[in-house]
Amino acid sequence: MLTVQESTASLKVGDKYEKKGMSGMTSLILTYLAMLAVMSIGAKLLGADVKKFAIGFTVIFFISYACWFAGHYAYIAATKNKLAAFKIPWSLSLTGESGFIFALLAGLVVGNFFPKLSDKLKEASRPELYIKTAIVIMGAALGLKAAESFTLASNIMFRGLCAIVEAYLIYWAVVYYMARKYFKFNREWAAPLASGISICGVSAAIATGGAIRARPIVPIMVSSLVVVFAVVEMLILPFAAQTFLWKEPLVAGAWMGLAVKTDGGAVASGAITDALILAKNLEVGINYQKEWVTMTATTVKMFIDIFIGIWAFLLAYIWCAKIECKPGQKARPIEIWHRFPKFVIGYVATFFILLVLCWPATTAIGPVDKQLKALKQENAAVEKQLAAAPAREHAALQEKIKAGNDKMKSLNDSIKGPKATIAEAKTATSTSNVFRVMFFVFTFFTIGVVSNFKKLMEEGIGKLMVVYVVALFGFIIWVGLFISWLFFHGVMPPLVG
Amino acid sequence: MANDPKLSEELKKMEYEPLLPIEMTLIKWSLGIGITSLVVLYWVSATFFPSGH
Repeated sequence: MLTVQESTASLKVGDKYEKKGMSGMTSLILTYLAMLAVMSIGAKLLGADVKKFAIGFTVIFFISYACWFAGHYAYIAATKNKLAAFKIPWSLSLTGESGFIFALLAGLVVGNFFPKLSDKLKEASRPELYIKTAIVIMGAALGLKAAESFTLASNIMFRGLCAIVEAYLIYWAVVYYMARKYFKFNREWAAPLASGISICGVSAAIATGGAIRARPIVPIMVSSLVVVFAVVEMLILPFAAQTFLWKEPLVAGAWMGLAVKTDGGAVASGAITDALILAKNLEVGINYQKEWVTMTATTVKMFIDIFIGIWAFLLAYIWCAKIECKPGQKARPIEIWHRFPKFVIGYVATFFILLVLCWPATTAIGPVDKQLKALKQENAAVEKQLAAAPAREHAALQEKIKAGNDKMKSLNDSIKGPKATIAEAKTATSTSNVFRVMFFVFTFFTIGVVSNFKKLMEEGIGKLMVVYVVALFGFIIWVGLFISWLFFHGVMPPLVG
Repeated sequence: MANDPKLSEELKKMEYEPLLPIEMTLIKWSLGIGITSLVVLYWVSATFFPSGH
């Protein structure tokens, strides 16, 4: 057993080591306690039963962590370039993110086969809370990325906005028409169904139900179907994206945002797609930076969420003015604010704080880096020249190299401060990323727990399910793919280094 | 719960409502604006945010 101070790079596979400082188990327990404390405060503010929440959260935390841990087993996770390092002949190359899939499957088992345990976890089974917390944490990391590659980040945002305008206008109209004309649903069912299938699952179905004054049962029924089908999509689409879209990573990310119909499902699918596509590209020697695919999926999904309020307001206005106005029904602009997803404020805040903190540093580093690159190339050329030059020219060439080195040193000194800022920001965001990943795993597990597949056996669900399946798999997924391709094809994540 | 409404009953209760001309207008306008803006937004993204096109 070795005690390691900092780097573990010199260790071989099979070596046992212990990091100097806190042990892994202590660290895990402290992480659990810290998260339990923060989440319990959140649960209290949400009006949950804190004791029940704490018990449920404890079980969710440890099962989720076990899944995440299992997902990192080398035979499952190791990418092709790591096989030699692990001394294994093969692996599934699913990357460590396969832990997400394990968590989802574990959740499905609990939710569908252990109703008593599932009931005990109910108070803490809140996938939307976990994914929204993860998105707020992710805002900081993406703010740093945006500071480093501002053009690409603004590109993704604008294209994401374009994509969702299309999603709202084209998806909704077609699904509504299909539900009304071919499946003979009345307006009360067709409108929430169209929003649930085509826009953003649960929250859109509820917002639309409210806008047209549908009875509460309608969006509830639609929502339960949305959640179940989001799970099916999460298990299929990331792998389809890896197979067919690995050369267009951001098209795949936007596709997840447009096609998977819950916040948790879409962002989580984006994270799996990110890992799978990056692993596939690594096999052919392309090493993309992590998280751009997740960022694209999150951006698209968040724009969709932001517009739900406006969409619900428009529907309420049109319904009341042109179709049927129920007693007490009135389109009120304040509803736009009421329906506005408030977690977006948190995301925007963390995003802009990091962007504003890092922007001056990256703009200072950028031009200097270019000069340094040019000087390096110049020096390399002179060194080549030196090797072939006659002895009488050596002194002059060596002088030239020295001048180049001096200039590089002074340039490096001039950006020490900005580089330190970026290094600190990277340390902060990579530390917070640990929590983001944990919240992602909780999201997967709890999505599984709340997805009751027995709903599909319920009497009468057939008609609702057929319209859902036809719309989702026959239309939405493909139109979403087309729109994603149209706006994101050829936009590539930056390469590592 | 015993009082929970059943989906099958709710769907049975659903009365047929013919598609009104105003609904068709809504659908056509939505698709029309959608397809027109698809062309416009594609042009805007290709012109002002050219990376990738």
